[in-house]
Amino acid sequence: MSSDTTTRQLREEVRAWLAENVPADWRRSMTGVEQEAFVAAQREWFGKLAQAGYATPHWPQGWPGGGRSLAEQKIIYEEVARADAPRLILYFVALYHAACTLMECGTPQQQDKYLPAILSGEIWCQGFSEPNAGSDLASLKTRAERRGDKYIINGQKTWSTMAQYADRCLLLARTDRSGPPQAGLTYLLLDMRAKGVTVRPISQITGDDEFAEIFFDDVEVPIEDRVGEEGQGWAVAQATLASERGLTLVELSQRMRYSLSMLAEALKENGCYDDPVARRDLGVVIAKVDAACALADQYLLKRISGEEAVGDASLVKLYYAHALREFTRLGRKISGLRGQYAKTFVRGATQETGNWTLDFMNSYNWSIAGGSNEIQRNIVAERMLGMPREPKSWRWGEG
Amino acid sequence: MSEYLQEIRDSVRQVVADSGLAAGHETVWPLAVELGWLLTSVPEELGGLDLGVAGTSELCQELGRGLTEIPFIPAVLALEALSHCQWSDRASWIERFTTGELVSAPLVEADLSIDRSGVDQVLVSGSATAVQSAEEASHLLLWDSSSECVLLIPMQQPGLEFIKQSTWDEARRLYDVIFNEVAVDSSLVLATDEVAGKLIARLRTLRNFSLAADAIGASSALLELTVEHLQTREQFGRPLALFQALKHRCADMKTVIAGAEAMLQDCLRKFASQLGEDVVELKSKTAKYLASTAFLQVAEEALQLHGGIGMADEHPCHLFLKRSLLSEHLATSDMTCEVDLATSFLVGTEG
Repeated sequence: MSSDTTTRQLREEVRAWLAENVPADWRRSMTGVEQEAFVAAQREWFGKLAQAGYATPHWPQGWPGGGRSLAEQKIIYEEVARADAPRLILYFVALYHAACTLMECGTPQQQDKYLPAILSGEIWCQGFSEPNAGSDLASLKTRAERRGDKYIINGQKTWSTMAQYADRCLLLARTDRSGPPQAGLTYLLLDMRAKGVTVRPISQITGDDEFAEIFFDDVEVPIEDRVGEEGQGWAVAQATLASERGLTLVELSQRMRYSLSMLAEALKENGCYDDPVARRDLGVVIAKVDAACALADQYLLKRISGEEAVGDASLVKLYYAHALREFTRLGRKISGLRGQYAKTFVRGATQETGNWTLDFMNSYNWSIAGGSNEIQRNIVAERMLGMPREPKSWRWGEG
Repeated sequence: MSEYLQEIRDSVRQVVADSGLAAGHETVWPLAVELGWLLTSVPEELGGLDLGVAGTSELCQELGRGLTEIPFIPAVLALEALSHCQWSDRASWIERFTTGELVSAPLVEADLSIDRSGVDQVLVSGSATAVQSAEEASHLLLWDSSSECVLLIPMQQPGLEFIKQSTWDEARRLYDVIFNEVAVDSSLVLATDEVAGKLIARLRTLRNFSLAADAIGASSALLELTVEHLQTREQFGRPLALFQALKHRCADMKTVIAGAEAMLQDCLRKFASQLGEDVVELKSKTAKYLASTAFLQVAEEALQLHGGIGMADEHPCHLFLKRSLLSEHLATSDMTCEVDLATSFLVGTEG
């Protein structure tokens, strides 16, 4: 069978399944509901996807749903975007960050213990960022002290997505304070139900609380839950961060393209459908959305053919974040004063909901999280354009 | 990239490097002919290399890097029209236009009326602007969508005048051409009616892709020039490239170029064999728009980042700036593109 036929078959198969299974009217049923209802809906949607094998196309052969090529994964994400299916926000860290880290760096015992649990719906969160370690992640201070066959954890993590519902945490902690900051980090798997873990949701500017702070007060982690060697945490964390690179933005940029029709609706609703200035603004956004899609696609093709260069992923993320900002800004402008009336929001929605002021505020997720625009620009300038790195010698009082 | 394409692209790169920025027509055109650049997209059965629009785009990108003066894009358009017409002697025309005789075409839509009521001749009136190197050309390729006609018109004849326009960008050598009831033998009509409509869409699409590639090449070269300047120029005891405020602006330039380039490559990958279709013409317009707006952004930033030396005539910075300002208005101007993209999209959502 030619590869064209197989990809077409897969596309049709996924499309038909989604048509049958995407919860009808999920946007309306998720509008203004409490988070518990959202969590229940996510669990149900995850269950369906996992059973059909569409939750784990990126897992290796041998796992349910696994063994899909990048090209096949791309088809699945494109179809998910096309069907406007809910995103698996609650399971993202488990399915991508945790699973890929375990597959790449975990021991067979860890894989046997945790991967089936993820498949059956365990929720994971990420404990990387700290109040004083954001862009400068390597400066993190949460301590892991070795005591016999355990690590004792003390410190605080923040911006952990959905940590209030998580069963486990991917924890990056400091085991050594001497030497360069990257060298003293160790990667641990922490039970969120363990004694001494406190989670406090962060109330966001949008009224949502997708993120949380996590406090650790003498929390014990058995030594067999360490991934990689002690002091190798930085390298393991890179594997975590690389796991989703590219695929997410293929899906999200496609979703943005499908959402352009919301701007057409907004023009109509607000009486500026024939306004030439609004049209020009729309033209600019359409072009940028097209470019964002093309860039994400090209990036994935490069990954498939093994031609990915350092910095390519940064370009995709920078462009997407920019296009999304422009998109939501235009929606906000078109919707006028009415766009300023606070509306109840859709839980677990994508970046574009037509609740324009909220969408605009949410677009900052993409220019801040996962390596801020400023960090991405450093990578592009230093690694792609060959410009010099920041001097590191600065100290308070010397400036 | 095929071996052929790589070879021919390398030859362009070499010539551009050897002859320097904004190299003149007299130096480069004979080499373009000798090295077979014009054969790039001509089909194999007509003696060409059959590398299609992807091939000519590569070359346009290289020529754009050097702001090279030759009328490569108009010649490619004329050769495309000849390759896709029904003329029995098209091979000999293609041979003429690939072995030294120069054919040109307007880089914006011409304002023409073509009277097709005569039996053995058509009458052309109106004007064409942005015709590159018209003075050296033996023929022009012209089209008019309202009278559904594509034709070749000889330059030397009564009723046809041309005027050199001195544009800020001197390396395009643009002319206005005025047609005063110019009689053209019917045998020079390449296509009419529906066939002409398709061919015109194909030519506009090709023009958009070519100009996009040209702008991408030029903006990439200009970004390199700017980074090099920042690496070498020292102030406050350190190279300017060490200042994050400047590094980030370079990263932004790289990002807009990457977006435009990805769009062009995406189009070439998906649509190279569907050039006459409306949806492809629209995509090509998006590609040209993204490329020329990226080029403008890069050119504006580059001048600022070069500081005083960028304002000096001896430095090449201004050549890129002027090329970018002109590119904004070639094919469809950026402002019109914005409206067109929105309008086509809205029409699509209504249906």
